[in-house]
Amino acid sequence: MSASNRPLSKLLLRHESLLVLVLILEVVVFLVTARNFGTADNVSNIVRHSAEIGLLALAMMPVILTGGIDLSVGSLMGLCAVLFGVMTHDWHLPILPAAFVTLIAGILAGGFNALVITTLRLPPLIVTLGTYSLFRGLAEAITQGTKTYRAFDANFIALGEARWLGLPMQAWCLALASVFFFLMVHRSTFGRSFRAIGFSPEGTRYAGISVQVRTALPYLISGLVAAIAALLFTARLRQARADAGTGYELYAITAVVLGGTSIFGGIGTVYGTLAGITAIAVLSNGIGRIPAVFKAGIGGELASMLTGALLLVALAAPGVGQLLAKLVTKDSKPPKIS
Amino acid sequence: MNKYFRELSVAAALGILLCVLAVYAPHFYEPQPLLSRLTAQAPTLVLTLGISMVMITRQIDISIGSQFGLCAVIAGLVSAGGYGFPTAIVSAIGAGAFMGAINGWLVAWMRLPSIVVTLATMVTWAEVLRLFQQGKFINLPSGVQWFGFSQFSGQVFLITLGVCLVAFLAHILKTRTGGRHIYAVGCDAEAARLSGIRPNHVTFGVFVLMGCLAGLAAVLNLVQSPQVDPKCGTGLELKAIAAAVVGGIAVNGGRGTLWGAFVGLLLLATINPALTFLHVEAYWEKAIQGLVILLAVIADGIRSRHNTL
Repeated sequence: MSASNRPLSKLLLRHESLLVLVLILEVVVFLVTARNFGTADNVSNIVRHSAEIGLLALAMMPVILTGGIDLSVGSLMGLCAVLFGVMTHDWHLPILPAAFVTLIAGILAGGFNALVITTLRLPPLIVTLGTYSLFRGLAEAITQGTKTYRAFDANFIALGEARWLGLPMQAWCLALASVFFFLMVHRSTFGRSFRAIGFSPEGTRYAGISVQVRTALPYLISGLVAAIAALLFTARLRQARADAGTGYELYAITAVVLGGTSIFGGIGTVYGTLAGITAIAVLSNGIGRIPAVFKAGIGGELASMLTGALLLVALAAPGVGQLLAKLVTKDSKPPKIS
Repeated sequence: MNKYFRELSVAAALGILLCVLAVYAPHFYEPQPLLSRLTAQAPTLVLTLGISMVMITRQIDISIGSQFGLCAVIAGLVSAGGYGFPTAIVSAIGAGAFMGAINGWLVAWMRLPSIVVTLATMVTWAEVLRLFQQGKFINLPSGVQWFGFSQFSGQVFLITLGVCLVAFLAHILKTRTGGRHIYAVGCDAEAARLSGIRPNHVTFGVFVLMGCLAGLAAVLNLVQSPQVDPKCGTGLELKAIAAAVVGGIAVNGGRGTLWGAFVGLLLLATINPALTFLHVEAYWEKAIQGLVILLAVIADGIRSRHNTL
């Protein structure tokens, strides 16, 4: 669909365009008020610190597109980080096989979600709420709640700190994942079937598409991506702990919803999600750099609070828009009954 | 098959567990620790009742842990400020009702999925609390603990209050119009609407009631210690949801009883001390809780598949 033949006002009112406006506003405000916000160092900082959430959000997007949700990604990150630590430190495996097994574990965990959700037709919400508790609980049980794995191989740490062609490794990971998800969602039949399932699973089934298999796929990918995010997180912090990724599911969901993906499924774009990720990353980085906030040391709390509020606003925005539109066109047409 | 098969099977599981404990760990039944363990579950019980009603209307509320924490701190600050304990109770329940109303409004009238709404409010309230209180404990005035009774009568009072609340709400849900409306909306909101029920009002009301119960639960927690821990609500939402699911509240709404949820909570509350008594390490608590939720949900899923085939 090209937007060129549409009126300008419609283009401006698109969710993604509004989001870009918010983003520009954020950047301008922080450039004026926050300290050292616009430096090249800080920009690469933002990318490094938002890569894990970005990856999770990109993987969450197809899940939500099919009308599901995956609350377990943050906990799975913790479990994968701990598993990686166990393999490198307790079993003395080299980095590559350990990372490989971690990725397999992520796929298996995602597969477990997918299996329970699709074969028993259970609501994804309650299933992933169960695994949310299970995965984090396993991570805590393995580490006895306290153990931290430190001192990783220098080659592995480089994953979190090195640059290639002047950009941090995380930027390359994010770019690669963005291209992959863009191609999958917007340029493949799989992507179209995700959308179809989100609109109407029954209708999709009648169209001859295997709904179970195609609903399962996003959860599998989500598990794999959570494992990748766990590796990046471990490399960046140089330590693996059971509490890795706590609360990240919220940020991922917020980024996706903020990016214009309907929480009911069927509607959404990958570039919208990318804009949503950027908006959150810029917000949490910029707020901590405002001198007054920095001095009080409340940057983290304020950023989380605003992210939660932002999610509420983004959720309520379409409803309020419809309400306003109804008020404006009150006398002309009766509201459409759907 | 008996109408209450699901509830009875949970009760049977609880009975077996209690028998195992009686044989292998008779220390479990020492009266004073047992009474303390039961009392400690009273706040979770109140939350479980609320979340059960929310789940029967086919919604969910994962912000109750945050609501609980915020209400506890508000009640603590009010009573520490010398405004009297009754004012503290009213303000805690009022604050809960307010937070429930926000959830309810967004879910009922903005037509947003409750999981995302309450995910957002969960984080927002938790961070408001962290920002405001910075993890500081609040010291309570002396008359507050156990409502001013002795510890023993305070504990007996709390347990009696909890059981009476179960009986009262279960009775309303079973026999009163308002209670039947909750089931009707959870079964099929459209059919309920066509038969003259206003689903939006019911959903909104259930969320407000959930908030009030979160406030009440916070008060019941407050009276058990001389201090208020601002982090006291963390993870409670999962415990309450687990108890409800184990007790047979259907995740798809419209089915389940409060007595079932009550037995579910007792079962879960017995598993953890049982693990300690049977020498399993406490670190497994969260994993086992997740596993129990999954098992209960999977069992329900398999059963409903068999029934429809």
